[in-house]
Amino acid sequence: MELAIETRGLTKRYGSLTAVNNLDLKVERNTIHGFLGPNGAGKTTTIKVLVGLLKPDEGTIRVLGQEVCGDRPDARLRMGYMPELPKFPKHLKGWELLDIYGKMYGMGKQERREQIPKLLEIVGLKGRGRDFIGKYSKGMQQRLGIAQALLNEPELIILDEPSLGLDPVGKVEVRELMKEIAKEGVTIFLSSHLLFEVEQICSHVTIIHRGVSLVSDTLQNVSSKLSGLTTLQIEVAKISNSIVNAVKRLPFVSDVSQSGDTLIIELRTRDDVRSQISQEITRAGGVIVSMSYKGQGLEEVFIQLISRSRRGETA
Amino acid sequence: MSAVERKGVTTNPGWITRFWAVVEYELLWNIRKKKFIGIVVVAFALATLSLALPVIFSNMSGQQLGRNPDYVVSTGAGIGGLGFFLFAVVTVMNSISGEFESGTIIPLLTKPVSRTIVFLGKVFAAFLTLLSAYAVLFVYMTIGGTIVYGPQNNLHLIPLSLLGSILSTFVWVAIVLAIGSLTKNSMIAALGTFGIFIALSISAPIVSMFSEQAWILTYVPGPGASGYIEGVGSQTPFTPSISVSTGTDSIAANLINYVLHPSSNVTFFKIGGFSPGEPSIVELYVEPLSLVLLRSITVASTYILAFSFISWYAFKRTQVLE
Repeated sequence: MELAIETRGLTKRYGSLTAVNNLDLKVERNTIHGFLGPNGAGKTTTIKVLVGLLKPDEGTIRVLGQEVCGDRPDARLRMGYMPELPKFPKHLKGWELLDIYGKMYGMGKQERREQIPKLLEIVGLKGRGRDFIGKYSKGMQQRLGIAQALLNEPELIILDEPSLGLDPVGKVEVRELMKEIAKEGVTIFLSSHLLFEVEQICSHVTIIHRGVSLVSDTLQNVSSKLSGLTTLQIEVAKISNSIVNAVKRLPFVSDVSQSGDTLIIELRTRDDVRSQISQEITRAGGVIVSMSYKGQGLEEVFIQLISRSRRGETA
Repeated sequence: MSAVERKGVTTNPGWITRFWAVVEYELLWNIRKKKFIGIVVVAFALATLSLALPVIFSNMSGQQLGRNPDYVVSTGAGIGGLGFFLFAVVTVMNSISGEFESGTIIPLLTKPVSRTIVFLGKVFAAFLTLLSAYAVLFVYMTIGGTIVYGPQNNLHLIPLSLLGSILSTFVWVAIVLAIGSLTKNSMIAALGTFGIFIALSISAPIVSMFSEQAWILTYVPGPGASGYIEGVGSQTPFTPSISVSTGTDSIAANLINYVLHPSSNVTFFKIGGFSPGEPSIVELYVEPLSLVLLRSITVASTYILAFSFISWYAFKRTQVLE
């Protein structure tokens, strides 16, 4: 397994406060990896250590196979980074900023001339590149932040709250853009408060709290690990006790309750057992109107994990 | 939005490419700063006044303004100690601390540019900004001086004067940068340097005029100890044709004086007391002008290097928390 980011025992303290505590983080290449945690969990600190803005107190960091610790400019050549609510010099024009950053990445004149207008169009700033950044709205600065993170065609993009400050259309556009970029083999490491956003685009997720990693796995495995039970809701016409008892007898069913015409079935497995259950209901004389999983969404998982962490339990 | 076409043609740039990118970034900021534009406008207004007022007064009094072939070389750009301080402050007070205050340092430091290159680029951009502003002022004063006072002598010494003025300004530039890097606060950088400037500007003339320890002013930034060149023009300390100061603000004048009077000596004096009539003068010591010049350049260079090192070290070690 090739890793884009790997930290071992990463620790960062601010005086007596340990912001990141012995963090082992593994981000596989060619994935969109969500980095979640409540406010003050250590997400931004971890990201700042990864991009060289902060120096760790302990631990090792490898980004795209290179050892990173402190000010290592060459390690940033293949990486793009967008900070949370990015701020750019107001005295520069959007186009000038990207042009100067492009020079820092070693992009040739022709390459910059081709790339910059394309990027400005992609992020929705077409026609605004010659305006001073001081005239940009917060959302436009956010879009410029995305453009500068993509400028060097990076292999790894680190995004800290990319949707913050964007309007609803912008948020959707950014999500779509990330999906498109990921298809091209780019690794995206994304910190976000928007759990449904992470759920929609991320294949992997790490949840941290108080600087400690609570869980780090594929999105699917995170949900599975956290709950042995999955709930299935089935609306049945002509519901009867015989149907309820028939379902109860199935070995993978933990509990069945009834609410009007709806059966609420707690499952012991996360395998897809819908066909077996529907056969059993039909055999008992029921007619299935609708069936849906009331699974553990990321939000439930997140809240459950953080609550456990606050109570001092392990994941 | 659709994904950017990936060509992967970005190459590893050399340090010169990265350095020039930082210089361009900083230069564009410097020349667009309202504070900088303001100080340039004020400097041009004062230069115009210094040229125009003698003409106006001579016309009003009916006396013809005499020719002065040494006007430009003795006046330079007419910037002086306060000018050096103000130009330094408006050029670099935001260079480092302002980036931290506004948060623009974050995208900059996450580009493939080392902090040392960023620092050097900012210092070099300040040098280019000041050089350009001073050069234009010198050209303006040269043309104006020639129109008002007739053909000028020793114009080939103007670049030397320009270089000296830059060196004097850079003492203050280094101090502003050091305070800015340590505090990450532009206002403290500007006010702190202003405090040093005011303290020295007030104390230096007092120490120079009344203390036997005036030599100490040779080693602090600013106006320094006062003396006059013996054997050239007037011999009276209060009306010397060529006065000399040892401080870092007087490098340009000392350079010109040295080229024009290479073997002359400088007499330093103090006021011994106030008897009826005029104050009594006590001669303190005499030094060759060459020594005065060499020492003022060495002192200025030492300050520039020391404060630049402090600000570079502080900048390099800074962790970006906000």
